[in-house]
Amino acid sequence: MRSFTGVFIAVVIAAAVVVAAFILNSRRPRVEVEQPSPANIRASGKCAECHSRETPAIVHEFELSKHAAAGVTCLDCHGAGDNQPKFDHRGFVMAKSLTAANCARCHATQYRQFLRSRHAAPSWAAVSGTRGFTAEQIAFAEQYHPGSMNRPPNAIGSLEGATAIAGGCTKCHNVGQPNPDGSIGSCTNCHSRHSASIALARLPETCGQCHMGPDHSQIEIYHESKHGVLFNAQRATMNLGAPAKKLTAADMPVPTCATCHMSGLEGQNVTHDMSERLSWYLFAEISTKRPNYAQAQSNMKEICLKCHTKPRIDLFFVQAEQQVASTNAVVSQAKAIMDNLHATGKLTPKPFDEPLEYTYFNMWHYDGRTSKHGAFMGGADFVQWHGNYELVSKLTEIQHAANAHP
Amino acid sequence: MRIPDALRKPHTIVEIFIVGNLAFLAVDVYVAHLTNAFERRPEWLPVIFSIAAPLLLLIVANRLTGMLVGWLSLLVGIGGMLYHLQSHFFAEQTIRNLVYTAPFVAPLAYAGLGMLLILDRMTDPDSLEWAQWILFLALGGFAGNLALSLADHAQNGFFNRGEWVPVVAAALACAFLVTLVVRPTDRALWRWTAWIMVLQVLVGTAGFALHLRANLLRPAPNVLERFLYGAPVFAPLLFANLAILAGIGMWGIRICGSSTAQTDTPAN
Repeated sequence: MRSFTGVFIAVVIAAAVVVAAFILNSRRPRVEVEQPSPANIRASGKCAECHSRETPAIVHEFELSKHAAAGVTCLDCHGAGDNQPKFDHRGFVMAKSLTAANCARCHATQYRQFLRSRHAAPSWAAVSGTRGFTAEQIAFAEQYHPGSMNRPPNAIGSLEGATAIAGGCTKCHNVGQPNPDGSIGSCTNCHSRHSASIALARLPETCGQCHMGPDHSQIEIYHESKHGVLFNAQRATMNLGAPAKKLTAADMPVPTCATCHMSGLEGQNVTHDMSERLSWYLFAEISTKRPNYAQAQSNMKEICLKCHTKPRIDLFFVQAEQQVASTNAVVSQAKAIMDNLHATGKLTPKPFDEPLEYTYFNMWHYDGRTSKHGAFMGGADFVQWHGNYELVSKLTEIQHAANAHP
Repeated sequence: MRIPDALRKPHTIVEIFIVGNLAFLAVDVYVAHLTNAFERRPEWLPVIFSIAAPLLLLIVANRLTGMLVGWLSLLVGIGGMLYHLQSHFFAEQTIRNLVYTAPFVAPLAYAGLGMLLILDRMTDPDSLEWAQWILFLALGGFAGNLALSLADHAQNGFFNRGEWVPVVAAALACAFLVTLVVRPTDRALWRWTAWIMVLQVLVGTAGFALHLRANLLRPAPNVLERFLYGAPVFAPLLFANLAILAGIGMWGIRICGSSTAQTDTPAN
């Protein structure tokens, strides 16, 4: 046994050191040792302990949010769900990236409404087709928006290349991207991340991040309209953060995009499915009525009634629909000429390889949409100079080009 | 193939160990100071020293150069520690600040290597005393490993129970090395210590793989940031590194042992 004296001493010392380490660890404050839970984080401010130094702005943003006021903690949102890729972060099991599924844990109704909207899967399919979606997701979206999923990605994207798609198209269309956890989309595109703000989602500029430019000039049209002018004059007095189900005309006496398309103004149903109040496919080459035309128009008129009288609303819709018919007529003429040029081989079947194809695309995709959106949103200049004038101008170009190739 | 005579001496291997460690510190410190974007010019000093010192030791291999580099290394280590004392840890003593702000203990790696260089020239490399000093310095390193693996993983809440493995391994290394320093001629203890050092190599390698895996899995904007702000990928390799140093010291004991009487253990 004598030969093992040294080993025995060493083992005793090692055991003593390990026991000391265990004791030392057990004496640490409970908030440091305890495995994290939302309650623990609420009590200890565990996340804020580091992030108030490392990323102070997000902590501040969170403190401003209604989530913070309601006692929601970081882990309530960032904790990984069942199907989400996870990672270990200082002893917390976190979701690698947050998706609509994280928000849906508490906001399930809003998520279901969103799934029925064109903001969901159809938005992503416009850029990337059905890649990444399950058969059920495709069937679900097709049920509400026929033809929106079973379609190829927009040909413009492949012409412009991957860089343009990544830096441009997907930045907006990712509002409906398929997520690895099986959910669709991201709520933070409109509500932001840590402030999770309803006020932000009600600002026209938030919608205008994507709904702008020649292909859908909604934000420009809005700012030209009386709605936009009044909003800019009175925004300081408005209560944009009012709870969704208690929003009154006193909170928002002037509408923003969200007021008309989503909000529960004066008891109206709140929705995250904008299609519930849209009666026409205005974005289409030749606009047609949506399947829920009558109900959707009735829903929208209910909102208009909070500020306008019925005769005025009816007249407004009649005039707007006249513009739709007028735009359809002009675009149809141009379409017939283009179809004939393709059928007779004067234009190749390949898309966007001839200048005239761009002219026609600009005509319906930019000017046609602008004239229709202008009419439904009260933007006179967009109906006229940016819309109808451009329509007839390009129709003439197309007719002239067709005549030059007898 | 015959191994050159010089490489059969622990003294030469220690010199190679020092050169390798100083050179590796250039990469390690560069990555560490990259998190600070080399905000202050002195942050380049250890990087430059870690490139120049090994080259100097290789090109001008004499006693004077070794002593000069040794003292400079000691200076860099102590100076670095003083610079690191400005870290957040001294403003707010939390485990997190101890682990994640400028680590005031880390520059002492230079001090350790400097001491090794000086010691290697002040003590007879064929003596038992030399071997004991080598073991003592390895012991100092393992004591640091024990403290840092405990603090580092405590900051992580010992979320995975496997995080206790390096703490236990470092405790074993410390205990066996301190005993071997005191009882260098105990053959049984020597053999057990040898196995403990093999264990350190395994723990260090596994730790490296686990830290690498954790960094590859964690979300970050790019690969560099995964490593800059993730689990310290090179830190576990210190277990293997110190085990090699201890191994050299134990080799020295073995060589001396052949000419020293066994005190309490029969040779077998």
